[in-house]
Amino acid sequence: MTDASVAPRAVRTGGLLKSAASLAPLAIFLALLLYLGVAAPSFLAPGTIALILKQAVPNVVVCLGLATVVIAGGDDVISGGIDLSIPAIAVLAAAIVAQLTTIKGAPIAFALAAGMGAALIAGLVNAFLVVVVGMTPLLATLASSSAYVGLASYVTSSRRIEVGDPFIVYLRDGSVGGAPAGVIAVFVLVLIFYFAVHRTRWGLNLQAVGGSRDAAEIAGLFASKFIAQSFVLAAIAGGVDSVFLLARGSGYAPGSEENLLLEMILATFLGAAFSPRRIVTLWGAVLGAVLVAALSIGFGSAGVDIFWTGCIKGGLILIVVASSAVSRNLNR
Amino acid sequence: MTSSSPDVLSMARVCKTFPGVLALDNANLTIRAGEIHGLVGENGAGKSTIIKVLAGVYVRDSGDVLVDGVGFDYVTPAKVHAAGIRFIHQELNLVPHFTVAETVFMGQELQGPLGVRSTTMRRAAEQFLEEALNARISGRALVRDLGLADRKLVQIARGLVDDKAKIVVFDEPTAPLASAEIEQLFAAIGRLKQRGIAMIYVSHYLGEITSICDRVTVFRNGRDVGVVDGVGPKDAPRIINMMIGREISDLYPAKNHRAGQPLLKLDKFGDGRHFRGVDLEVKRGEIVGVAGLLGSGREELVEAIYGLGRATEGRVQFDGKPARISSPSKAVDCGIVLVPRDRRNDGLVLDMTVADNVNLASFEEVTTALIVNRRAAAARAAALAARLDIRPRNVDAVTRYLSGGNQQKVVLARWLATGSRLFVLDEPTVGVDIGARAEIYRLIEKLAADGAGVLLSSSDAAELLGLCDRVVVLLRGEVTADVATSTLSLDRLIALTTGGETEKKDRR
Repeated sequence: MTDASVAPRAVRTGGLLKSAASLAPLAIFLALLLYLGVAAPSFLAPGTIALILKQAVPNVVVCLGLATVVIAGGDDVISGGIDLSIPAIAVLAAAIVAQLTTIKGAPIAFALAAGMGAALIAGLVNAFLVVVVGMTPLLATLASSSAYVGLASYVTSSRRIEVGDPFIVYLRDGSVGGAPAGVIAVFVLVLIFYFAVHRTRWGLNLQAVGGSRDAAEIAGLFASKFIAQSFVLAAIAGGVDSVFLLARGSGYAPGSEENLLLEMILATFLGAAFSPRRIVTLWGAVLGAVLVAALSIGFGSAGVDIFWTGCIKGGLILIVVASSAVSRNLNR
Repeated sequence: MTSSSPDVLSMARVCKTFPGVLALDNANLTIRAGEIHGLVGENGAGKSTIIKVLAGVYVRDSGDVLVDGVGFDYVTPAKVHAAGIRFIHQELNLVPHFTVAETVFMGQELQGPLGVRSTTMRRAAEQFLEEALNARISGRALVRDLGLADRKLVQIARGLVDDKAKIVVFDEPTAPLASAEIEQLFAAIGRLKQRGIAMIYVSHYLGEITSICDRVTVFRNGRDVGVVDGVGPKDAPRIINMMIGREISDLYPAKNHRAGQPLLKLDKFGDGRHFRGVDLEVKRGEIVGVAGLLGSGREELVEAIYGLGRATEGRVQFDGKPARISSPSKAVDCGIVLVPRDRRNDGLVLDMTVADNVNLASFEEVTTALIVNRRAAAARAAALAARLDIRPRNVDAVTRYLSGGNQQKVVLARWLATGSRLFVLDEPTVGVDIGARAEIYRLIEKLAADGAGVLLSSSDAAELLGLCDRVVVLLRGEVTADVATSTLSLDRLIALTTGGETEKKDRR
């Protein structure tokens, strides 16, 4: 993020190449979707949109968290803000809720509070590791992530647990004026996050810290505070996501964090291509999550082998992250 | 400015010590209302220390700081800000993807019940830029799409938009700018003066200082050595004299080298950004100096010659043949070596032994069938260490624990071992004590006497004069002078480097 050395001439000559680099992943994505539409006609059926949105719900919520952390920490792929532990936190909270309601018979409100409490502690741990201990977010959250997943396995003894609580079932099957209840709930959540990150003074300061830590500190902002807050907020998103995970899977299923992690990273960084400034934004991340869900559904209807799906998604992540690295180098 | 204007800031008898260094020694600085006050001095003279004391970054040991006649017992950044003192740092420090309005209001955003008031902030930012800084910049524009002068103005607006500034401190504000952009900045500074804001202008560019400042305070060795009233261009020589106040010592060896065939020849060399149209020639057995302030393109030029930076314009000839030096390894293949500025990070593997560092670039000479012959390596290193008088003489010592001067000798020893033909030395004596300095100068002289070409880039004018045959001066990316040192005095070299005097290129 050195703005001082960028001469305007260099910016202009690199402009075309830069937009090509940043738009490449989006183009590849749309081409893939187009191919799926041709290969699997059922993909274009009217019910598919609702299906995609329902599928996207848990991904959108974790993407909100990751986007917040990236916005506060900067989008440098190595040293910038990243939180790989959000899916693990979601799974941990889901494990606690499932265990408490189904196995222990505790009231749902109590179970949700316990799940959220665990998520909050996890967020504080992440913030501590990054801000106080000074670890790079990539390593800190990779390590903490595996600890949270381990904890979830311990709580549930790694079993699948059905959750039949009416609240969870309503999130899955209920509808508000014809729209799926889960989708509506997430839409409201997106609006809240959008307002906080893009429309408030706090949000602008958060963006300033991520954009240039030096600039923010010279302007009198205490950067570490904002970075810590972003990790806590991301963990809260993870905690909230637990109910949507339970709703989508009709209960707790061990191992669901892996796919969630893959899709979260893919969606959030893909989303940068939607932003006119080519930076990670909340809207971009949300749109990215929906696109990624569409891809998953498309693969399903085209009958693509599940192992191939993982391979293709991994390849897409590489393309997305590489394109952001290339854009950065061109920006230099 | 009439001398009857009241003092808005008065720093008197300020002292500040760092371990082993008296950085400020009863220094005084007095600023009158509405004046532009220049602050000049060589590196280490105490300019930045007194500014940091004023900013609350350093706590003074003793002395008084009075703002508007009110004493400050303990200066903190918050108190200074509340008193209306603003600092415009040399670095722009802006967020590239922020809009102008977001940047100007960073940290002081206006917020209503429906979130930040974007429209109000945008209009206020545009209005302030136009009224106070004479600049028409859209509040919606992204910082990264602005030219450097506009970015500088946006940075200034960020400090001043609350309209409470009384004193603004500029630290090298023109460093990244081209001459046309400087006019734009000066116009803005003129506007601020009309608004009654006093300004402290810290700069190495004497040409700028003498053209826009009302008064100038000169610092040397941690104290103010003089104040010049009613400054004009004619005062540059006087100011330089106050800045230097010393003679060149007999640190430098007698010149025994003799220039031979051309070795390196640059023709209209440029990288499109930091330096342009550079013509430069180094002959065998010749020492050529490159002078230039920070930001003059000197560092980038040196790196481009070595293949570290990208040069996009002009031609390079090495040893009479066209050459394309696109990477450091190609430079080494040609026989060009760089002794980097930051030797601790770029020049040495600090945790290796002296012997390993010396042999690093020429292990093949002590290697038999892929195995390094430790004894031969040690013997070779020991011979070089003795020749360069590296202390301690034990080549198994870990390099980290050597003094700066001796570390520098290790870097030189490595390249001596390779039999290189052109030595590019970037600030070879920064952080080196005076004794080791003389040793390094002797060594540089010897390199040239043995027939190698030497290109010496330095910010120390005395060093350039003492060692070089010719000095090429870079100012804002262009060569403004190429002068034989036999006809050059120290103050004239400083005048050329700081833009206090420009002169036609007198090529030989």
